[in-house]
Amino acid sequence: MGLSPAVEIHDLEKSFRSGWPRRRVQPALRGVTFSVPRGVIFAILGPNGAGKTTLLSILATLLLPDRGSARVLGHDVVREPHRVRERVNMSSGNANFLWSLTPREILDIFARLAGVTGRVRRVRVEALLDLLELRGHAEVPYSELSTGLKQRLALAKALVNEPELLILDEPTVGLDPDVSVRIRAQIAALRRERGTTILLSTHYMREAEELADEIVFLRDGRILARGDADSLKRRIKVGDAVSLVLADPAAWERLRALPGVLACASRDGRVECVVDDARKRLPDLLRHLHEAGVEVHDLRVTEPDLEAVFLELAR
Amino acid sequence: MTGTAAREWTKVSAFIRKNWLMARRNIFTVFEVVFWPTVGVLSVGLLTRFLDLTPETTAFILIGTLALSIIQVCQLDVAYAILFEMWAKGIKHQFLAPIGLWHLALGSWLMGILRGLAVFALLAGLGWWGFGFDFFHPGPAALVAFLLGLFLNAVIIGLGVCTLLLLFGLRAEVSAWSAVSLILLLAGIYYPVSLLPPPVAAVAAAIPLTYFLDAFRAHYGFAPVFEAALLKGFATSLVYLALTYGALGAALTHARRRGTLLRLSE
Ligand SMILES: Nc1ncnc2c1ncn2[C@@H]1O[C@H](COP(=O)(O)OP(=O)(O)OP(=O)(O)O)[C@@H](O)[C@H]1O
Ligand SMILES: [Mg+2]
Repeated sequence: MGLSPAVEIHDLEKSFRSGWPRRRVQPALRGVTFSVPRGVIFAILGPNGAGKTTLLSILATLLLPDRGSARVLGHDVVREPHRVRERVNMSSGNANFLWSLTPREILDIFARLAGVTGRVRRVRVEALLDLLELRGHAEVPYSELSTGLKQRLALAKALVNEPELLILDEPTVGLDPDVSVRIRAQIAALRRERGTTILLSTHYMREAEELADEIVFLRDGRILARGDADSLKRRIKVGDAVSLVLADPAAWERLRALPGVLACASRDGRVECVVDDARKRLPDLLRHLHEAGVEVHDLRVTEPDLEAVFLELAR
Repeated sequence: MTGTAAREWTKVSAFIRKNWLMARRNIFTVFEVVFWPTVGVLSVGLLTRFLDLTPETTAFILIGTLALSIIQVCQLDVAYAILFEMWAKGIKHQFLAPIGLWHLALGSWLMGILRGLAVFALLAGLGWWGFGFDFFHPGPAALVAFLLGLFLNAVIIGLGVCTLLLLFGLRAEVSAWSAVSLILLLAGIYYPVSLLPPPVAAVAAAIPLTYFLDAFRAHYGFAPVFEAALLKGFATSLVYLALTYGALGAALTHARRRGTLLRLSE
């Protein structure tokens, strides 16, 4: 018998109804279809309000969909939510726990909720404290932990039942870059060492690129594109933006042909190019301009911003 | 214990452990378990002195006060299963876990029973010491039946409060503190239900606590108003327990549809 995919969703729709007596209906998902094979890291990339949290919450059985179907590890999330909860766990960047409990107590309580008994539970809690480097803070009340520690605790909590599918909603939101790097390394290690399938949402292009085998772009409750980071970048011309002011504005035409340059255009006296990787391509680009005798007056490199990507995609 | 039984019990124990740890570190525990019950019994007891009540009417009123204090502290524990999580803005995690509502209800109720018994011990001591009143007079069987009745009323109220919390969020928080006052008015805590006007008396007859008070007070010389009061008390309790448990399940489904669990977690 072949293993069912980790996630299989078909035409999923969800709207939120609120307000009384006058009802407001806010669509969050407008027919989403995709599947996630086992053992991969799969990223859902999208701007604020795209429907990322809604989608992940349906898969984690916190929300009921309006229409369409969602199966997780072969179980229907509406008809067999209990089965899903046994084998899945979820953590989010904005997780909160009871203020006066310590990380050790919080992990112990969630391991109990998962039905982990006796000695196995004690061993697992201690192992998680080590895995996420929480041991030094195991006795500190939750309200006194730093944001980075809280995030790591949320990740540890999501591992108490040794889930086959781990759902992470913006796991590095609001963290310092160095803390984010550590969390990403831990996420990558989970897949590598335990084979856990990981489904995560983010609005950082870099994060998706670095971690994920596959990415979907979600906006306004619809999937706009899907693929691995490289093919997506090529297809939708998303990479680092290099913005130049040249002595001879007409010289930009030549840059287009250089390897790694995905797009180039001249706007308002600036030349705007998109390259797949600025660190790799910038030396070539500058050498080329230098050899052609074109002086560079100004140069700026920026990471791709998601809105720009979506504007590109929405065309 | 078999593996399955051990796992189920472990899930129940999560709620006991959580409320226990929170109670231990929460200054309000002292107020809930010691201060308010003591104030209640002393003020009511002294009032009976001032009014020069007979020992029988004093007994009547002290039993009412004891019942109210025990129900309040026990129902709070059940409500806390949801309320603490709402205050912490982290309720979704609890419902991500593979638990049934019965784990939540049973675990937090057991902790409530523990705190309720502590209140009973305190008030029984105070009643004896301050007013020469003996809560053990009816004998162990009657006392156990009475306490069990109180705890059943408490879990019913607690589950009702949880239902309101899931439906209306923290706007319903006030119900956790005031539901018991309504019972106070209707179930004849400080007066016989026969004093109530007929339509209200009918409502009182629908409240299980009324029967448990009636049965317990009979041991102190009050002619019972109801026949087979204990039986009626347990029967109505089970009906309400089933109803509130069902309502809580429906409220949770509603919350999953509306996105309340998410909204209350951010
Ligand atoms: N519980 C809720 N009640 C009402 N509307 C909601 C609720 N949750 C989300 N929405 C609405 O549904 C839409 C999608 O929201 P969702 O939280 O899924 O987006 P997101 O991609 O996670 O955004 P963000 O990056 O801000 O976290 C938004 O318009 C949002 O306002
Ligand atoms: Mg979100």
